[in-house]
Amino acid sequence: MKEKFKIALAQISCKRGDKAENVRKIEDNVTKAKKQGAELVIFPELSLTGYTVRDQIYELAETIPGSSTNVLEKLARKTETHIVFGMPELSEKTQATIHNTAVLIGPDGFIGRYRKMYLPTHSVFEEKRYFRPGYQTPVFETEFGKIGLIICYDVFFPEVSRLTRLKGAQLIICISASPAVRRTFFEILTAARAIENTVFLAYVNLTGVEDGLQFWGGSRLVGPNGKVLVKAKYNEEDLVMGEVNYADIRPIETFVPTLKDLRPEFFSELKENAEKL
Amino acid sequence: MKLTPSVLDLDCLEVETKIRRFIKDYVEKSEAKGIVLGLSGGIDSSVTAALSALAIGGNKVLGLLLPEQETYNTQDIEHAKLVAEKFGLKTEMIDITPTLKVFYNSIPIFETVDKLCKGNIKARTRMIYWYYYANRLDMLVCGSSDKSETMTGYFTKWGDVAADISPVMDLYKTQVRKLAQHIGVPKEIVTKPATPALWPGQLAEEELGIKYDTLDLILYGLERFMKAEEIAQQLRVRKELVDKIKCRWLYMEHKRRMPLTTKIQYRTVGADFRLSYFTH
Repeated sequence: MKEKFKIALAQISCKRGDKAENVRKIEDNVTKAKKQGAELVIFPELSLTGYTVRDQIYELAETIPGSSTNVLEKLARKTETHIVFGMPELSEKTQATIHNTAVLIGPDGFIGRYRKMYLPTHSVFEEKRYFRPGYQTPVFETEFGKIGLIICYDVFFPEVSRLTRLKGAQLIICISASPAVRRTFFEILTAARAIENTVFLAYVNLTGVEDGLQFWGGSRLVGPNGKVLVKAKYNEEDLVMGEVNYADIRPIETFVPTLKDLRPEFFSELKENAEKL
Repeated sequence: MKLTPSVLDLDCLEVETKIRRFIKDYVEKSEAKGIVLGLSGGIDSSVTAALSALAIGGNKVLGLLLPEQETYNTQDIEHAKLVAEKFGLKTEMIDITPTLKVFYNSIPIFETVDKLCKGNIKARTRMIYWYYYANRLDMLVCGSSDKSETMTGYFTKWGDVAADISPVMDLYKTQVRKLAQHIGVPKEIVTKPATPALWPGQLAEEELGIKYDTLDLILYGLERFMKAEEIAQQLRVRKELVDKIKCRWLYMEHKRRMPLTTKIQYRTVGADFRLSYFTH
Protein backbone atom coordinates (compact mmCIF):
# COMPACT_ATOMS: atom_id res chain seq x y z
CA MET A 1 0.00 0.00 0.00
CA LYS A 2 1.23 3.47 -0.89
CA GLU A 3 1.70 5.72 2.13
CA LYS A 4 2.29 8.81 0.06
CA PHE A 5 0.64 9.81 -3.21
CA LYS A 6 -0.55 12.75 -5.24
CA ILE A 7 -4.19 13.52 -5.81
CA ALA A 8 -5.85 16.06 -8.12
CA LEU A 9 -8.93 18.07 -7.26
CA ALA A 10 -10.65 18.61 -10.61
CA GLN A 11 -13.08 21.44 -9.97
CA ILE A 12 -15.14 21.67 -13.12
CA SER A 13 -18.38 23.25 -14.30
CA CYS A 14 -20.69 21.00 -16.27
CA LYS A 15 -22.70 21.34 -19.43
CA ARG A 16 -26.02 20.21 -18.13
CA GLY A 17 -27.49 17.14 -19.74
CA ASP A 18 -24.52 16.78 -22.10
CA LYS A 19 -22.76 13.65 -20.89
CA ALA A 20 -20.43 13.45 -23.89
CA GLU A 21 -19.16 16.98 -23.25
CA ASN A 22 -18.72 16.32 -19.53
CA VAL A 23 -16.88 13.07 -20.21
CA ARG A 24 -14.61 14.98 -22.56
CA LYS A 25 -13.90 17.48 -19.79
CA ILE A 26 -13.18 14.65 -17.37
CA GLU A 27 -10.76 13.13 -19.89
CA ASP A 28 -8.96 16.46 -20.35
CA ASN A 29 -8.58 16.95 -16.63
CA VAL A 30 -7.40 13.40 -15.99
CA THR A 31 -4.78 13.74 -18.73
CA LYS A 32 -3.56 17.07 -17.33
CA ALA A 33 -3.54 15.78 -13.76
CA LYS A 34 -1.65 12.65 -14.77
CA LYS A 35 1.05 14.78 -16.38
CA GLN A 36 1.43 16.53 -13.04
CA GLY A 37 1.85 13.24 -11.25
CA ALA A 38 -1.65 12.64 -9.89
CA GLU A 39 -2.60 9.05 -9.18
CA LEU A 40 -6.12 9.84 -8.08
CA VAL A 41 -8.31 12.49 -9.77
CA ILE A 42 -11.54 13.61 -8.13
CA PHE A 43 -14.53 15.32 -9.80
CA PRO A 44 -17.65 16.94 -8.25
CA GLU A 45 -21.05 15.48 -7.42
CA LEU A 46 -23.11 14.58 -10.52
CA SER A 47 -20.21 15.69 -12.69
CA LEU A 48 -21.37 13.41 -15.49
CA THR A 49 -24.59 15.39 -16.02
CA GLY A 50 -24.49 18.65 -14.06
CA TYR A 51 -26.41 19.11 -10.83
CA THR A 52 -29.62 20.93 -11.75
CA VAL A 53 -31.13 18.70 -14.42
CA ARG A 54 -34.50 18.14 -12.72
CA ASP A 55 -36.88 15.89 -14.71
CA GLN A 56 -34.20 15.09 -17.26
CA ILE A 57 -32.53 12.96 -14.66
CA TYR A 58 -34.71 10.06 -15.89
CA GLU A 59 -33.20 10.28 -19.37
CA LEU A 60 -29.68 10.83 -18.12
CA ALA A 61 -29.36 8.17 -15.42
CA GLU A 62 -27.34 5.08 -16.27
CA THR A 63 -26.70 1.75 -14.68
CA ILE A 64 -23.29 0.77 -13.39
CA PRO A 65 -21.73 -0.71 -15.44
CA GLY A 66 -23.09 1.40 -18.27
CA SER A 67 -21.89 3.32 -21.27
CA SER A 68 -20.38 6.24 -19.30
CA THR A 69 -18.64 4.09 -16.71
CA ASN A 70 -17.28 1.93 -19.56
CA VAL A 71 -15.74 4.99 -21.22
CA LEU A 72 -14.28 6.26 -17.97
CA GLU A 73 -12.95 2.82 -17.01
CA LYS A 74 -11.04 2.79 -20.29
CA LEU A 75 -9.69 6.22 -19.44
CA ALA A 76 -8.54 5.01 -16.02
CA ARG A 77 -6.83 2.00 -17.63
CA LYS A 78 -5.17 4.06 -20.32
CA THR A 79 -3.89 6.73 -17.94
CA GLU A 80 -3.28 4.33 -15.06
CA THR A 81 -5.10 6.59 -12.66
CA HIS A 82 -7.86 6.26 -10.13
CA ILE A 83 -10.90 8.47 -10.81
CA VAL A 84 -13.82 9.51 -8.62
CA PHE A 85 -16.80 11.18 -10.24
CA GLY A 86 -20.51 11.62 -9.61
CA MET A 87 -23.46 10.40 -11.67
CA PRO A 88 -27.16 9.62 -11.47
CA GLU A 89 -27.19 5.84 -11.16
CA LEU A 90 -30.17 3.90 -12.41
CA SER A 91 -30.94 0.82 -10.35
CA GLU A 92 -30.51 -2.37 -12.39
CA LYS A 93 -33.73 -3.80 -11.01
CA THR A 94 -36.02 -0.91 -11.89
CA GLN A 95 -36.66 1.56 -14.68
CA ALA A 96 -36.81 4.87 -12.84
CA THR A 97 -35.21 4.41 -9.43
CA ILE A 98 -32.13 6.56 -9.27
CA HIS A 99 -29.33 7.13 -6.79
CA ASN A 100 -27.01 10.09 -6.48
CA THR A 101 -23.81 8.08 -6.71
CA ALA A 102 -20.06 8.54 -6.39
CA VAL A 103 -18.08 6.09 -8.50
CA LEU A 104 -14.49 4.98 -7.89
CA ILE A 105 -12.64 3.39 -10.79
CA GLY A 106 -9.00 2.49 -11.20
CA PRO A 107 -6.50 1.08 -13.69
CA ASP A 108 -8.07 -2.35 -13.21
CA GLY A 109 -11.60 -1.10 -13.77
CA PHE A 110 -14.57 -0.50 -11.47
CA ILE A 111 -13.73 -0.51 -7.76
CA GLY A 112 -16.90 0.62 -6.07
CA ARG A 113 -19.77 3.05 -5.67
CA TYR A 114 -21.28 5.04 -2.86
CA ARG A 115 -24.92 6.07 -2.93
CA LYS A 116 -25.63 9.38 -1.17
CA MET A 117 -27.31 8.78 2.18
CA TYR A 118 -28.57 12.24 3.02
CA LEU A 119 -30.57 13.81 0.21
CA PRO A 120 -31.26 17.51 0.81
CA THR A 121 -34.85 18.42 0.10
CA HIS A 122 -35.16 21.90 1.49
CA SER A 123 -34.35 25.42 0.34
CA VAL A 124 -33.34 25.11 -3.35
CA PHE A 125 -32.71 21.37 -3.14
CA GLU A 126 -35.16 18.70 -4.29
CA GLU A 127 -33.08 15.54 -4.19
CA LYS A 128 -35.60 13.30 -2.42
CA ARG A 129 -37.97 13.97 -5.27
CA TYR A 130 -35.59 12.27 -7.67
CA PHE A 131 -33.24 10.02 -5.73
CA ARG A 132 -33.49 7.00 -3.51
CA PRO A 133 -31.06 7.27 -0.59
CA GLY A 134 -28.20 4.84 -0.10
CA TYR A 135 -28.06 2.57 2.94
CA GLN A 136 -24.41 1.67 3.12
CA THR A 137 -21.14 3.34 4.06
CA PRO A 138 -18.64 1.13 2.26
CA VAL A 139 -14.90 1.66 2.20
CA PHE A 140 -12.91 0.62 -0.82
CA GLU A 141 -9.66 -1.31 -0.79
CA THR A 142 -7.15 0.31 -3.14
CA GLU A 143 -3.40 0.63 -3.54
CA PHE A 144 -3.82 3.82 -1.45
CA GLY A 145 -5.34 1.90 1.40
CA LYS A 146 -9.00 2.07 2.27
CA ILE A 147 -10.93 5.02 0.86
CA GLY A 148 -14.30 6.28 2.07
CA LEU A 149 -16.67 8.19 -0.18
CA ILE A 150 -19.34 10.65 0.91
CA ILE A 151 -21.40 13.20 -1.02
CA CYS A 152 -22.04 16.86 -0.16
CA TYR A 153 -24.82 17.08 2.47
CA ASP A 154 -23.51 13.83 4.05
CA VAL A 155 -20.74 15.98 5.53
CA PHE A 156 -23.32 17.60 7.87
CA PHE A 157 -23.85 14.19 9.51
CA PRO A 158 -20.67 13.15 11.34
CA GLU A 159 -21.73 9.51 11.59
CA VAL A 160 -21.19 8.87 7.86
CA SER A 161 -17.58 9.97 7.90
CA ARG A 162 -17.07 8.31 11.27
CA LEU A 163 -18.29 4.97 9.97
CA THR A 164 -15.92 5.02 7.01
CA ARG A 165 -13.08 5.92 9.38
CA LEU A 166 -14.00 3.12 11.77
CA LYS A 167 -13.98 0.74 8.81
CA GLY A 168 -10.38 1.74 8.16
CA ALA A 169 -10.47 4.66 5.71
CA GLN A 170 -7.59 7.09 6.10
CA LEU A 171 -8.75 9.17 3.17
CA ILE A 172 -12.35 10.35 2.90
CA ILE A 173 -13.43 11.85 -0.40
CA CYS A 174 -16.39 14.21 -0.36
CA ILE A 175 -17.73 15.18 -3.77
CA SER A 176 -20.12 18.09 -3.75
CA ALA A 177 -22.40 20.53 -5.58
CA SER A 178 -22.71 23.32 -3.06
CA PRO A 179 -24.10 26.74 -4.01
CA ALA A 180 -22.47 29.91 -2.75
CA VAL A 181 -24.70 30.78 0.20
CA ARG A 182 -23.57 27.62 2.00
CA ARG A 183 -19.83 28.07 1.67
CA THR A 184 -19.12 28.79 5.33
CA PHE A 185 -20.84 25.59 6.46
CA PHE A 186 -18.72 23.44 4.19
CA GLU A 187 -15.48 25.21 4.99
CA ILE A 188 -16.07 24.51 8.68
CA LEU A 189 -17.51 21.02 8.36
CA THR A 190 -14.85 19.62 6.04
CA ALA A 191 -12.22 20.66 8.58
CA ALA A 192 -14.32 19.29 11.45
CA ARG A 193 -14.77 15.87 9.82
CA ALA A 194 -11.02 15.66 9.21
CA ILE A 195 -10.13 16.63 12.79
CA GLU A 196 -12.67 14.46 14.59
CA ASN A 197 -11.59 11.42 12.58
CA THR A 198 -7.88 12.26 12.21
CA VAL A 199 -8.17 11.57 8.53
CA PHE A 200 -7.34 13.21 5.21
CA LEU A 201 -10.43 14.68 3.60
CA ALA A 202 -10.52 15.65 -0.09
CA TYR A 203 -13.46 17.92 -0.87
CA VAL A 204 -14.24 18.63 -4.53
CA ASN A 205 -17.02 21.04 -5.31
CA LEU A 206 -18.75 21.97 -8.53
CA THR A 207 -18.35 25.44 -10.00
CA GLY A 208 -20.31 27.44 -12.58
CA VAL A 209 -23.88 28.75 -12.65
CA GLU A 210 -26.93 26.49 -13.01
CA ASP A 211 -30.44 27.97 -12.90
CA GLY A 212 -29.27 30.96 -10.86
CA LEU A 213 -27.32 28.79 -8.40
CA GLN A 214 -23.66 29.72 -8.26
CA PHE A 215 -21.49 26.82 -7.16
CA TRP A 216 -18.59 28.23 -5.22
CA GLY A 217 -15.81 25.78 -5.98
CA GLY A 218 -13.15 26.16 -3.26
CA SER A 219 -12.25 22.46 -3.40
CA ARG A 220 -9.61 21.47 -0.88
CA LEU A 221 -7.48 18.76 0.62
CA VAL A 222 -7.70 18.93 4.39
CA GLY A 223 -5.10 17.29 6.59
CA PRO A 224 -5.89 15.23 9.72
CA ASN A 225 -5.34 18.34 11.89
CA GLY A 226 -7.94 20.29 9.91
CA LYS A 227 -5.36 22.31 8.04
CA VAL A 228 -6.24 23.12 4.44
CA LEU A 229 -3.26 21.74 2.53
CA VAL A 230 -4.28 22.90 -0.93
CA LYS A 231 -7.29 24.85 -2.11
CA ALA A 232 -8.82 25.50 -5.53
CA LYS A 233 -10.06 28.92 -6.60
CA TYR A 234 -13.52 30.13 -5.71
CA ASN A 235 -16.16 30.33 -8.45
CA GLU A 236 -14.10 29.15 -11.39
CA GLU A 237 -12.75 25.97 -12.84
CA ASP A 238 -9.46 24.83 -11.40
CA LEU A 239 -7.24 21.79 -11.17
CA VAL A 240 -5.06 21.61 -8.09
CA MET A 241 -2.67 18.95 -6.88
CA GLY A 242 -2.24 17.84 -3.32
CA GLU A 243 -0.20 15.23 -1.53
CA VAL A 244 -1.57 12.73 0.93
CA ASN A 245 0.98 11.30 3.33
CA TYR A 246 -0.54 8.89 5.81
CA ALA A 247 2.53 9.23 8.01
CA ASP A 248 1.13 12.65 8.97
CA ILE A 249 -1.82 11.00 10.70
CA ARG A 250 0.21 9.42 13.52
CA PRO A 251 1.46 12.61 15.20
CA ILE A 252 -2.02 14.11 15.02
CA GLU A 253 -3.66 10.95 16.33
CA THR A 254 -1.36 11.08 19.34
CA PHE A 255 -1.86 14.82 19.84
CA VAL A 256 -5.67 14.80 19.58
CA PRO A 257 -6.60 11.13 20.01
CA THR A 258 -10.25 11.30 19.03
CA LEU A 259 -10.40 7.68 17.95
CA LYS A 260 -8.73 6.38 21.11
CA ASP A 261 -11.20 8.38 23.19
CA LEU A 262 -14.35 7.26 21.35
CA ARG A 263 -17.18 6.31 23.74
CA PRO A 264 -19.37 3.72 21.99
CA GLU A 265 -21.73 3.49 24.96
CA PHE A 266 -23.25 6.82 23.92
CA PHE A 267 -24.18 5.55 20.49
CA SER A 268 -27.23 3.57 21.60
CA GLU A 269 -28.43 6.57 23.61
CA LEU A 270 -27.89 8.73 20.55
CA LYS A 271 -30.04 6.36 18.52
CA GLU A 272 -32.82 6.31 21.12
CA ASN A 273 -32.96 10.09 21.34
CA ALA A 274 -32.76 10.60 17.60
CA GLU A 275 -35.79 8.35 17.21
CA LYS A 276 -37.74 10.45 19.72
CA LEU A 277 -36.91 13.84 18.16
CA MET B 1 -33.58 37.17 15.60
CA LYS B 2 -33.10 40.92 15.98
CA LEU B 3 -34.74 42.94 13.23
CA THR B 4 -32.33 45.84 13.07
CA PRO B 5 -31.38 47.73 9.90
CA SER B 6 -28.04 45.90 9.90
CA VAL B 7 -29.73 42.63 8.85
CA LEU B 8 -30.06 44.23 5.43
CA ASP B 9 -26.34 44.94 5.18
CA LEU B 10 -24.64 43.52 2.12
CA ASP B 11 -21.18 42.45 1.20
CA CYS B 12 -21.54 44.73 -1.81
CA LEU B 13 -18.43 43.55 -3.61
CA GLU B 14 -19.52 39.92 -3.34
CA VAL B 15 -23.07 40.71 -4.45
CA GLU B 16 -21.81 42.77 -7.37
CA THR B 17 -19.52 39.94 -8.43
CA LYS B 18 -22.31 37.38 -8.19
CA ILE B 19 -24.75 39.45 -10.23
CA ARG B 20 -22.17 40.24 -12.88
CA ARG B 21 -21.26 36.57 -13.14
CA PHE B 22 -24.95 35.62 -13.37
CA ILE B 23 -25.65 38.11 -16.18
CA LYS B 24 -22.56 37.18 -18.18
CA ASP B 25 -23.20 33.46 -17.81
CA TYR B 26 -26.83 33.75 -18.89
CA VAL B 27 -26.07 35.94 -21.91
CA GLU B 28 -23.32 33.57 -23.02
CA LYS B 29 -25.38 30.41 -22.55
CA SER B 30 -28.36 31.87 -24.37
CA GLU B 31 -26.02 33.00 -27.18
CA ALA B 32 -27.69 36.42 -27.19
CA LYS B 33 -25.90 39.42 -28.64
CA GLY B 34 -26.60 41.61 -25.65
CA ILE B 35 -29.15 43.11 -23.31
CA VAL B 36 -32.09 45.47 -23.79
CA LEU B 37 -33.58 47.19 -20.77
CA GLY B 38 -35.88 50.02 -19.89
CA LEU B 39 -33.98 52.99 -18.50
CA SER B 40 -36.30 55.18 -16.45
CA GLY B 41 -33.76 57.21 -14.54
CA GLY B 42 -34.84 55.46 -11.33
CA ILE B 43 -32.58 53.53 -9.02
CA ASP B 44 -33.53 49.96 -9.99
CA SER B 45 -33.07 50.37 -13.73
CA SER B 46 -29.91 52.43 -13.17
CA VAL B 47 -28.35 49.69 -11.04
CA THR B 48 -29.44 46.95 -13.45
CA ALA B 49 -28.11 48.86 -16.45
CA ALA B 50 -24.81 49.53 -14.69
CA LEU B 51 -24.38 45.89 -13.65
CA SER B 52 -25.27 44.71 -17.16
CA ALA B 53 -22.66 47.01 -18.65
CA LEU B 54 -20.07 45.91 -16.09
CA ALA B 55 -20.89 42.27 -16.85
CA ILE B 56 -20.86 42.20 -20.64
CA GLY B 57 -19.60 45.63 -21.71
CA GLY B 58 -21.65 48.76 -22.27
CA ASN B 59 -21.51 48.39 -26.05
CA LYS B 60 -23.70 45.29 -25.72
CA VAL B 61 -26.31 46.98 -23.53
CA LEU B 62 -29.12 49.07 -24.99
CA GLY B 63 -31.10 51.26 -22.63
CA LEU B 64 -34.50 52.31 -23.92
CA LEU B 65 -35.85 55.62 -22.64
CA LEU B 66 -39.60 55.51 -23.19
CA PRO B 67 -41.15 58.70 -21.80
CA GLU B 68 -44.76 59.73 -22.28
CA GLN B 69 -46.53 63.05 -22.04
CA GLU B 70 -48.40 62.69 -18.72
CA THR B 71 -45.44 61.65 -16.60
CA TYR B 72 -42.73 63.33 -18.65
CA ASN B 73 -39.93 64.32 -16.32
CA THR B 74 -36.83 66.09 -17.62
CA GLN B 75 -34.84 65.16 -14.55
CA ASP B 76 -35.53 61.42 -14.98
CA ILE B 77 -34.37 61.59 -18.59
CA GLU B 78 -31.22 63.44 -17.53
CA HIS B 79 -30.59 60.77 -14.89
CA ALA B 80 -31.05 57.95 -17.40
CA LYS B 81 -28.59 59.64 -19.76
CA LEU B 82 -26.16 60.21 -16.89
CA VAL B 83 -26.11 56.49 -16.08
CA ALA B 84 -25.75 55.58 -19.75
CA GLU B 85 -22.81 57.90 -20.11
CA LYS B 86 -21.12 56.80 -16.92
CA PHE B 87 -21.37 53.07 -17.68
CA GLY B 88 -20.94 53.38 -21.43
CA LEU B 89 -24.20 51.88 -22.61
CA LYS B 90 -26.08 52.73 -25.76
CA THR B 91 -29.46 54.44 -25.53
CA GLU B 92 -32.44 55.14 -27.66
CA MET B 93 -35.31 57.43 -26.72
CA ILE B 94 -38.81 56.98 -28.09
CA ASP B 95 -41.78 59.06 -27.04
CA ILE B 96 -44.54 56.48 -26.56
CA THR B 97 -47.35 59.06 -26.23
CA PRO B 98 -48.75 58.50 -29.75
CA THR B 99 -48.80 54.71 -29.23
CA LEU B 100 -50.60 55.12 -25.90
CA LYS B 101 -53.20 57.42 -27.44
CA VAL B 102 -53.95 54.82 -30.11
CA PHE B 103 -54.42 52.24 -27.39
CA TYR B 104 -56.69 54.45 -25.29
CA ASN B 105 -58.82 55.41 -28.32
CA SER B 106 -59.18 51.84 -29.54
CA ILE B 107 -60.58 50.44 -26.29
CA PRO B 108 -64.40 50.84 -26.18
CA ILE B 109 -64.53 50.62 -22.40
CA PHE B 110 -61.51 52.87 -21.81
CA GLU B 111 -61.96 55.13 -18.80
CA THR B 112 -59.42 57.89 -18.38
CA VAL B 113 -60.09 58.48 -14.67
CA ASP B 114 -59.17 54.88 -13.84
CA LYS B 115 -55.52 55.77 -13.51
CA LEU B 116 -54.36 52.31 -12.48
CA CYS B 117 -55.77 50.54 -15.55
CA LYS B 118 -54.48 53.35 -17.72
CA GLY B 119 -51.07 53.28 -16.04
CA ASN B 120 -50.81 49.54 -16.60
CA ILE B 121 -51.18 50.16 -20.34
CA LYS B 122 -48.08 52.34 -20.11
CA ALA B 123 -46.07 49.65 -18.35
CA ARG B 124 -47.20 46.97 -20.79
CA THR B 125 -46.57 49.17 -23.81
CA ARG B 126 -42.99 49.67 -22.67
CA MET B 127 -42.67 45.90 -22.38
CA ILE B 128 -43.70 45.58 -26.05
CA TYR B 129 -40.95 47.98 -27.06
CA TRP B 130 -38.29 46.10 -25.04
CA TYR B 131 -39.27 42.80 -26.55
CA TYR B 132 -39.43 44.18 -30.07
CA TYR B 133 -35.87 45.44 -29.78
CA ALA B 134 -34.73 42.21 -28.14
CA ASN B 135 -36.30 40.06 -30.88
CA ARG B 136 -35.05 42.28 -33.68
CA LEU B 137 -31.50 42.57 -32.34
CA ASP B 138 -31.22 39.04 -30.95
CA MET B 139 -30.83 40.34 -27.42
CA LEU B 140 -32.31 39.53 -24.02
CA VAL B 141 -34.66 41.68 -21.98
CA CYS B 142 -33.20 42.38 -18.56
CA GLY B 143 -35.71 43.30 -15.86
CA SER B 144 -34.97 45.58 -12.95
CA SER B 145 -37.62 44.58 -10.41
CA ASP B 146 -36.39 44.51 -6.84
CA LYS B 147 -37.47 42.16 -4.06
CA SER B 148 -39.54 44.75 -2.19
CA GLU B 149 -41.86 45.37 -5.13
CA THR B 150 -41.82 41.72 -6.16
CA MET B 151 -42.90 40.51 -2.74
CA THR B 152 -45.58 43.19 -2.31
CA GLY B 153 -46.79 42.74 -5.89
CA TYR B 154 -46.12 46.42 -6.48
CA PHE B 155 -45.70 46.13 -10.23
CA THR B 156 -47.74 45.65 -13.38
CA LYS B 157 -48.38 42.01 -14.21
CA TRP B 158 -46.71 41.26 -17.58
CA GLY B 159 -45.57 44.89 -17.64
CA ASP B 160 -42.47 46.30 -15.97
CA VAL B 161 -41.74 42.88 -14.46
CA ALA B 162 -41.61 41.11 -17.85
CA ALA B 163 -38.06 40.01 -18.63
CA ASP B 164 -35.79 37.12 -19.48
CA ILE B 165 -33.65 37.69 -16.40
CA SER B 166 -34.06 39.91 -13.33
CA PRO B 167 -30.65 40.26 -11.73
CA VAL B 168 -31.64 42.39 -8.69
CA MET B 169 -34.89 40.59 -7.88
CA ASP B 170 -33.36 38.99 -4.77
CA LEU B 171 -32.39 42.36 -3.27
CA TYR B 172 -34.73 44.55 -1.24
CA LYS B 173 -34.99 48.21 -2.24
CA THR B 174 -32.77 49.42 0.63
CA GLN B 175 -30.17 46.86 -0.45
CA VAL B 176 -30.38 48.05 -4.06
CA ARG B 177 -29.60 51.52 -2.73
CA LYS B 178 -26.49 50.21 -0.99
CA LEU B 179 -25.38 48.36 -4.09
CA ALA B 180 -26.06 51.48 -6.19
CA GLN B 181 -23.71 53.51 -4.01
CA HIS B 182 -21.09 50.79 -4.16
CA ILE B 183 -21.02 50.59 -7.96
CA GLY B 184 -21.07 54.36 -8.36
CA VAL B 185 -24.60 55.17 -9.49
CA PRO B 186 -24.86 58.99 -9.15
CA LYS B 187 -26.06 60.07 -5.71
CA GLU B 188 -29.01 62.09 -6.99
CA ILE B 189 -30.50 58.89 -8.43
CA VAL B 190 -29.91 56.91 -5.22
CA THR B 191 -31.59 59.46 -2.99
CA LYS B 192 -34.62 60.48 -5.02
CA PRO B 193 -38.01 58.99 -4.08
CA ALA B 194 -39.06 55.87 -6.01
CA THR B 195 -41.97 56.05 -8.44
CA PRO B 196 -43.43 53.60 -10.96
CA ALA B 197 -44.50 56.73 -12.96
CA LEU B 198 -47.84 55.28 -14.04
CA TRP B 199 -49.49 58.65 -13.37
CA PRO B 200 -48.23 62.12 -12.46
CA GLY B 201 -47.07 62.54 -8.87
CA GLN B 202 -47.21 58.83 -8.02
CA LEU B 203 -44.78 57.94 -5.22
CA ALA B 204 -44.10 54.37 -4.16
CA GLU B 205 -43.78 54.93 -0.40
CA GLU B 206 -46.89 57.09 -0.33
CA GLU B 207 -48.92 54.53 -2.23
CA LEU B 208 -47.66 51.57 -0.22
CA GLY B 209 -48.25 53.55 2.98
CA ILE B 210 -44.88 52.70 4.44
CA LYS B 211 -41.22 53.72 4.15
CA TYR B 212 -38.95 51.23 2.41
CA ASP B 213 -36.68 51.13 5.49
CA THR B 214 -39.55 49.63 7.52
CA LEU B 215 -41.14 47.67 4.69
CA ASP B 216 -37.91 45.86 3.94
CA LEU B 217 -37.46 44.82 7.56
CA ILE B 218 -41.03 43.49 7.64
CA LEU B 219 -40.43 41.55 4.41
CA TYR B 220 -37.11 40.30 5.76
CA GLY B 221 -38.86 38.99 8.87
CA LEU B 222 -41.64 37.34 6.85
CA GLU B 223 -39.05 35.73 4.58
CA ARG B 224 -37.48 34.14 7.65
CA PHE B 225 -40.78 32.82 8.96
CA MET B 226 -41.09 35.34 11.79
CA LYS B 227 -44.57 35.85 13.19
CA ALA B 228 -46.40 39.13 12.52
CA GLU B 229 -46.64 39.86 16.27
CA GLU B 230 -42.91 39.48 16.73
CA ILE B 231 -42.09 41.67 13.74
CA ALA B 232 -44.50 44.39 14.91
CA GLN B 233 -43.10 44.27 18.43
CA GLN B 234 -39.49 44.48 17.35
CA LEU B 235 -40.05 47.26 14.83
CA ARG B 236 -42.44 49.08 17.17
CA VAL B 237 -45.12 49.34 14.50
CA ARG B 238 -48.80 48.43 14.65
CA LYS B 239 -49.51 44.75 14.07
CA GLU B 240 -52.22 45.80 11.59
CA LEU B 241 -49.50 47.30 9.40
CA VAL B 242 -47.50 44.04 9.39
CA ASP B 243 -50.72 42.09 8.72
CA LYS B 244 -51.50 44.36 5.80
CA ILE B 245 -48.06 43.80 4.27
CA LYS B 246 -48.33 40.06 4.91
CA CYS B 247 -51.70 39.97 3.13
CA ARG B 248 -50.19 41.62 0.07
CA TRP B 249 -47.18 39.30 0.30
CA LEU B 250 -49.45 36.24 0.19
CA TYR B 251 -52.16 37.51 -2.14
CA MET B 252 -49.74 38.67 -4.85
CA GLU B 253 -48.31 35.23 -5.52
CA HIS B 254 -50.42 35.11 -8.70
CA LYS B 255 -48.30 37.96 -10.08
CA ARG B 256 -45.07 36.10 -9.45
CA ARG B 257 -45.88 32.85 -11.22
CA MET B 258 -46.81 31.48 -14.60
CA PRO B 259 -50.63 31.32 -14.96
CA LEU B 260 -52.21 28.59 -12.90
CA THR B 261 -53.93 25.76 -14.70
CA THR B 262 -55.76 22.71 -13.47
CA LYS B 263 -54.08 19.35 -13.42
CA ILE B 264 -55.29 17.18 -16.30
CA GLN B 265 -52.31 15.51 -17.87
CA TYR B 266 -49.25 13.53 -16.83
CA ARG B 267 -46.89 16.48 -16.29
CA THR B 268 -48.29 20.00 -15.92
CA VAL B 269 -46.55 23.34 -16.47
CA GLY B 270 -46.11 25.24 -13.22
CA ALA B 271 -46.86 22.15 -11.12
CA ASP B 272 -44.86 19.01 -11.77
CA PHE B 273 -43.26 19.78 -15.11
CA ARG B 274 -39.75 20.53 -13.93
CA LEU B 275 -37.15 21.36 -16.49
CA SER B 276 -33.98 23.39 -16.22
CA TYR B 277 -32.52 26.23 -18.23
CA PHE B 278 -29.93 25.34 -20.86
CA THR B 279 -30.01 21.56 -20.60
CA HIS B 280 -29.28 19.41 -23.60
